[in-house]
Amino acid sequence: MEKKSGIQRLKEFVTIFKTELRYIFSDGGVILIMFGAVIIYSTVYSFAYSNEVLQDVPVAIVNNDRTQESRDFIRKLNATPNINVTYEVSSLDEAKSLFLSRKVYGIIILPDDFAKDIYSGKTTYVAIYADGSYLLMYKQVLNDLTNTVLTNNVQIKVQRLMQQGISMEQAFVVSNPVSPNIQSTFNPYLGYGSFAMPAILVLIIQQTLLIGIGMIGGTWREKKLYCKLIPERRKYLSALPILLGKSAAYYVSGAATMLYVFGFQYKLFHFPMNGDVLDLIMFMTPYLLSVIFLGLAISSVLKRRENSIILILFTSIPLLMLSGISVPKEAMPEWLYQFGKIIPSSNAINGFIRIQSAGATLKEVSPEYAMLWILTGIYFLLAALGMRSLARKVYD
Amino acid sequence: MKKIFKVIYRELGLVRHNRTFSALALGLPILAIVYFLLLFKTGVPTNLPIAVVDLDNSSLSKQFTRMIDAVPSVSIASMPKSTEEAEEMIRKGEIDAMLIIPREAEKDIYGNKPVTVPVFISGLNITKNGLIQRDLSTAIISFSTGIQVQTLVSQGMSEAQAYQAAMPINFERHILFNPYSSYSYYLLPIFFPMMMLIFILLTAVFTFGSEFKNGTAKEWLETAGGNIYYAFAGKLFPYLISFTILFVVADIVLFKYIGIPLRGNRTLILIANVLFVMAYQSLGVLIVVISAGSLRRSLSVGGGYSVFAFTLSGYTFPLMAMNPLLQVLSYIFPMTYYMRIFVDQAVRGAPAFDTADQLVYFMIFILLPLLLLPRLRKMCTDNKYWGRM
Repeated sequence: MEKKSGIQRLKEFVTIFKTELRYIFSDGGVILIMFGAVIIYSTVYSFAYSNEVLQDVPVAIVNNDRTQESRDFIRKLNATPNINVTYEVSSLDEAKSLFLSRKVYGIIILPDDFAKDIYSGKTTYVAIYADGSYLLMYKQVLNDLTNTVLTNNVQIKVQRLMQQGISMEQAFVVSNPVSPNIQSTFNPYLGYGSFAMPAILVLIIQQTLLIGIGMIGGTWREKKLYCKLIPERRKYLSALPILLGKSAAYYVSGAATMLYVFGFQYKLFHFPMNGDVLDLIMFMTPYLLSVIFLGLAISSVLKRRENSIILILFTSIPLLMLSGISVPKEAMPEWLYQFGKIIPSSNAINGFIRIQSAGATLKEVSPEYAMLWILTGIYFLLAALGMRSLARKVYD
Repeated sequence: MKKIFKVIYRELGLVRHNRTFSALALGLPILAIVYFLLLFKTGVPTNLPIAVVDLDNSSLSKQFTRMIDAVPSVSIASMPKSTEEAEEMIRKGEIDAMLIIPREAEKDIYGNKPVTVPVFISGLNITKNGLIQRDLSTAIISFSTGIQVQTLVSQGMSEAQAYQAAMPINFERHILFNPYSSYSYYLLPIFFPMMMLIFILLTAVFTFGSEFKNGTAKEWLETAGGNIYYAFAGKLFPYLISFTILFVVADIVLFKYIGIPLRGNRTLILIANVLFVMAYQSLGVLIVVISAGSLRRSLSVGGGYSVFAFTLSGYTFPLMAMNPLLQVLSYIFPMTYYMRIFVDQAVRGAPAFDTADQLVYFMIFILLPLLLLPRLRKMCTDNKYWGRM
C-alpha cells in the first residue's frame, strides 16, 4: 500500500465533488426530492396556514332569558373576533343536533333568570359546551366567551356602584382592582403558521437532504461507481476524499435550498424574521454539516436506493414531534426528549426558532449550537468509517 | 378462487425473502404504535417554567406569587430582579412566560388605585401559550375577585353576598368530548392512521413496483392465470389482513389504554378501518400506473402524497380557516373522511346516519383506481415497463 500525496488526494476530492454534483443534477428522482419537494411542501404548507388565525367559529346560542340584557350579551359575544353566533335555538337538543352535523362548534346557554339574577345581585351562570374534539375551535370559543363575561362583569359592577353615587373612575377601580395585561411575544396574534412553519421548514431541509443523499448513495452502489472512480494505478479510493467531496456537493445544494426557504419563502409568507443573519448562518452551518454526515453514514448502510425514501419518509412526523414543538416537551417523557437530541433537527428547530422568531443571539442558543457541532463530529466519524468500509469492500 | 390463493401464497413467499416487505407491513407499524404511546404517556403538560419579577416585594405580592405557583400548569422557575433578565431567559428557552408585579402594587391595591399585572408569554409555542394564558389570567382574576370580596366584607357584607356581587356573571365550562383538553387525546387519533397510511400506501407501491423492477410482473400475472383482478386481489389480500389487525390493535390501544372515549358505533369504526386500508391500497395501484411502473418514481410520488394528508385532513388546523383551494384539495385524501368518521363515531357519538356519506367517499377511492387494472395488465405483459429503476 503506497502513501498518497496531498495533491493526489485533492484531485480525488475534486473528482468526487464534480461527479456527485453531476449525479445530483442528472437524476430526476433526486432533483424532485431535494429541490421539488422542498418547494412544493414549503409552499403548500405555508398556504394551508396562511390565514394564521381561526376566526368566526360558528356557535349556537340557547337563550332561555330573552331580555334586553341577554340580547346585549349575545351582541357583545358576536362582536368578538373568534366567535360568530350563527344560530339561536330554543333547546339544548336542537343545538346538539346542529353540533353533530358540524354546523356549529360550540353551544352557549343563557339561563332563565339571566337578567333577574344580575339585578338582584346574584351570580348568574352561563353554560358553555365547547368542542374538545377540535382543540383549536375549543380554544377560540372559550377565549372569547371568557373575555366577554369578564368585561361584562366589570360593566355591571361599575353601573351598580355608580347608582350608589360613586364616581365612574372610582367604581372602575373597586370593581377591577387587579387586571391582567397579557401579551404574547414573538408571535403576537398567535398565528398557527408562524408557530408551525419554522419547525416544519427546518425539518423538510433535513429529510429531503437525507433522502437525496441516500438515493445517490444507493445508485453509486447499484452501479458500482466506487470501482469506476478509482484513479489509475490506485488500488482503492481513500475514505477522506470521498467523504469530503460528496459532502461539499451536498453542502452547496443544501445551502441553496436553505437560501430559498429562509430567504424567499420566509419573506413571501411573512414569517417572523427577527434573527441576525450572521448568527443564522453560523447556527445553520453545523446543522447542514451534521445532516450531511448523518446522511452519508446512513447511505453507507443502505443497500438499495428505495430504502432511503421509506426510512426517511416515515420518520418525518415522529421526528417533528420529538423536537418538542407540536407536542410540548413537558408533555413527553424527559428521557425521550433528551434522546431526541441525537437527531440534528431536534436541536436545529429549537435553536432556529429562538434566533429567527424571538431574536435570540447565537450565545443565547449555545446549548443547541454546541450540540450540533458535537453531532457534526460524531456523524463525521461514522460517515468516515462507513465510507472506508465501502471503499475497502469495492477493492475486495 | 384457487388462483387467488396461488397469488397469495406467492406473495407470502416474497414477504419471507424480502425484509423491506416485512418491515413495512409489520415491524415499522408496530414500532410507530409503541413510539406514539411513549411520546404521549405524560399527557397534559404541567409545571411549565415561568419567571415572576416581583418589583413590589410586599407581603401581598408574596401571597400573590404563592398563588401563581400553585397553578398546576405553571411553576415559578426563577424570580429574576429585572425584566431584562427575564426576557433573556425567554430567548434562551429557559422559561415560557414572565409575570411582572409592578412597584407599589400592594400600596395601590389598598389605596384604591387600579393595578395592571403585565404578563408576557412566549408565542413560539401556541399550545403552551394557550395553556399558560388561560391559567394565569384565571389566577389573576380570582386574585382580583378575592380583593373585591375582602373590601366588600369589610364594608359589612357576608362573604357569600360579597362573592356574588363581585362575580355578576360566571360560567360553567363543559368541554365536550375531551374532558382534560389533553394533547394526547387530541393528537393520537390522527397519528396512528397517519403512520398507517404511509405504510399501507408504500407497501402497495412497493409490491407492485418491485414486480416491474425485477421483471417478474408477467410471472405474477401468470400465477393468477392471466386474470389481473385475481392477481390484484391476491397480492393485496395479505397486507389487507395485516393492516386491519394492526388497525384494530391501534384502536384497542387508543380506547382501552389511552382512554379515548368510544361513544358511537364501533362496527362503523371497524368498517372505516378496513375501507381506509383498501382505499390507500387502491391508490397504490393508481400511483404505480401513472408512474409507468417505475418503482422509484412511484415511491417518490406516493411518499409525497401521503405526508400531505396530515395537514390537509383539517384535523389539527381547521379547513374552514384554510385557503379555499386547499379546502378543495382536502377531498383527495381518504384521511379527511377517516378523521371525520373517527371524531363522529368514537369521540362525539354521533348518529350512524351522520357518518354514512363519508363511507361512500371511501368507496370512490377504492373503486376508481380499479378502472386502471386493465392498463396494469398491459404493463405486465409489455417488457418495456420491466427492469426500470
